[in-house]
Amino acid sequence: MTVAADQHIEGKRDVTLRVFRLNPQVDSKPYYDDYTIPVERGITVLRALNYIKENIDASISYRAFCQAGICGSCGMRINGISKLACTTQVWDELSKCREEGIIKIEPLRNMPLIKDLIVDMDPLVAKMKHYSNWVDSTMPEAEMGKKEFLVSEEEFLRYDKATDCILCASCVSECSILRANKEYVSPAVLLKSYRMNADSRDAIHDVRLGELVQDHGVWDCTHCYRCQETCVKSIPIMDAIHGIREDAIESRGMKDTAGSKHAEAFMSDISKKGKLVEATLPFRTNGVAWTVKNLLPMAVKMILKRRTPPPPPLVKPSKGIKQFRAEFKEMSDHVKQDHKTHNK
Amino acid sequence: MKRYAYYLSCINESMTKEVDRSIALWQKDLGIELVHLHESTCCGGSNLDYVSPKHFALVNARNIAHAEKMGLDLVVSCNTCLMTIRTAKKKLDASPELRAEVNDILKAEGLEYRGTSEVRHLLWVLIDDVGLEAIKAKVTVPLSKYRIAPFYGCHILRPSTVLGKDNPLDPSSLDQLVEALGGSTIPYTHKNRCCGFHTLLVAEEESLSVAAEALGEAIDEKADFIVTPCPLCHTVLDGYQAKALKQADIHSSIPVLHLSEMVGLALGYTAKELGVKRHIVS
Repeated sequence: MTVAADQHIEGKRDVTLRVFRLNPQVDSKPYYDDYTIPVERGITVLRALNYIKENIDASISYRAFCQAGICGSCGMRINGISKLACTTQVWDELSKCREEGIIKIEPLRNMPLIKDLIVDMDPLVAKMKHYSNWVDSTMPEAEMGKKEFLVSEEEFLRYDKATDCILCASCVSECSILRANKEYVSPAVLLKSYRMNADSRDAIHDVRLGELVQDHGVWDCTHCYRCQETCVKSIPIMDAIHGIREDAIESRGMKDTAGSKHAEAFMSDISKKGKLVEATLPFRTNGVAWTVKNLLPMAVKMILKRRTPPPPPLVKPSKGIKQFRAEFKEMSDHVKQDHKTHNK
Repeated sequence: MKRYAYYLSCINESMTKEVDRSIALWQKDLGIELVHLHESTCCGGSNLDYVSPKHFALVNARNIAHAEKMGLDLVVSCNTCLMTIRTAKKKLDASPELRAEVNDILKAEGLEYRGTSEVRHLLWVLIDDVGLEAIKAKVTVPLSKYRIAPFYGCHILRPSTVLGKDNPLDPSSLDQLVEALGGSTIPYTHKNRCCGFHTLLVAEEESLSVAAEALGEAIDEKADFIVTPCPLCHTVLDGYQAKALKQADIHSSIPVLHLSEMVGLALGYTAKELGVKRHIVS
């Protein structure tokens, strides 16, 4: 036996998996079942679940297939964090247990539950359809299979990482906004949308982008980075979300939606004062009617506490603002030049 | 006395003035001096980076370069400013071309971004430079009667590739500070969740729902107050609290303190001196 293999079986102990159970056809509310099993170091959570299903309780339901972190089927929450059971070591989870030696296994969040650890992926698939998460080819059908479609390395690098997504839905489960509103597009769909919109072979960029900027779309992301932090493939999902926003501003202008107007306010204020003029931010984002309706009661409380942001004339520009403005403008010239070169 | 260049966050200059005022009260007690960087400009607030990546790099290279000129680290007391400026730093440090481009512009001001100053949150300075033991020794009014909900906020934790101080899944730095000040923390599963600030003007209902969850757990656990190292989180959790709890049908309230106010209380300053009375929820 090799040294590595020796180390592999060195540790062995009893571990309890506390598994979320709910069969909506018979149970009125969810409960947890504890299964205490002997586990060797090196065993994954998925193998531990398989052991339980084969030897103790055949009624537990979960999805799994490849056992190698490729298919994305076995997404579940392990000690509260969404991840793949097949790439998660039982041993690594022991230090993260709230109760010593008890690993909590629960279904992904933000998706309807079917049974135990199985969630319904259909709403996610429906969103992928809604946002056309495929390349709709610019090539006429008659030419397909006859002609090559070349993609430059530079282009591929823009969405290389995004293509690593295996649709395990861990990011969907962790999303703060989806938790608040199930209509929200969701991080996985934004990632796919970014990837398709960056593809030169695709013909429906403008249509897809048009959908992405609507309500429950790209501007509703609250920048919490939970999706990116839990991505099992370490994909920088926020880069994709920001990428869609950058594209939306470039393609549709800065007056397009509340989200783009809000973003424009930052650019505009910084260029003028070096500081944000917060007092008028709600007006510039949503207009006067919205601001009065939504923020007036709070504004009164803030005035009483002398907490309101100063009106624009009283926002003191940063020290050295003249020089700063000149620098900002010089960079604007660089950006214009970049666009010219890019468009050539 | 250890000195730092102190970045002036827009929100602390306008709505949450009590943050900088309270720090000014106690900084010398803990042997630190935060030199206000009046030249600093808005970091872009997690928006400029996609509106114009190049302006984003320029603005924050300049913010950091001013600190470098003083030979000091740049200290920030807003999570989003922290994440934003550190993101820019990471990009600048990785790209000699970008560095050269911004430096070519900054030289007119006698500035050069070299990457020599660190960008750090005030909380990190308290823990790593001042030290928990030294802080403990300075406490005159221990917070022993309080059960405190430590709300970290997102941008001091995530993305961990940019922040990297705390474990984003189970952060502990703020808990440690609370304990050093004599207080105790509640088990708070929302400690590393989101406050909803960044979509308040775009998806208000969703933002308030996110905030209500964080508030609701602290209320259920009977915390005496929430403490946060971020003035943006504070603005939602305090300023929008009534609206958020009403939307979630929660009939209660909970005070929210800035990190700087909590430190001040333990060092013997009064709530009035620290500006706690300026909060919406008392």
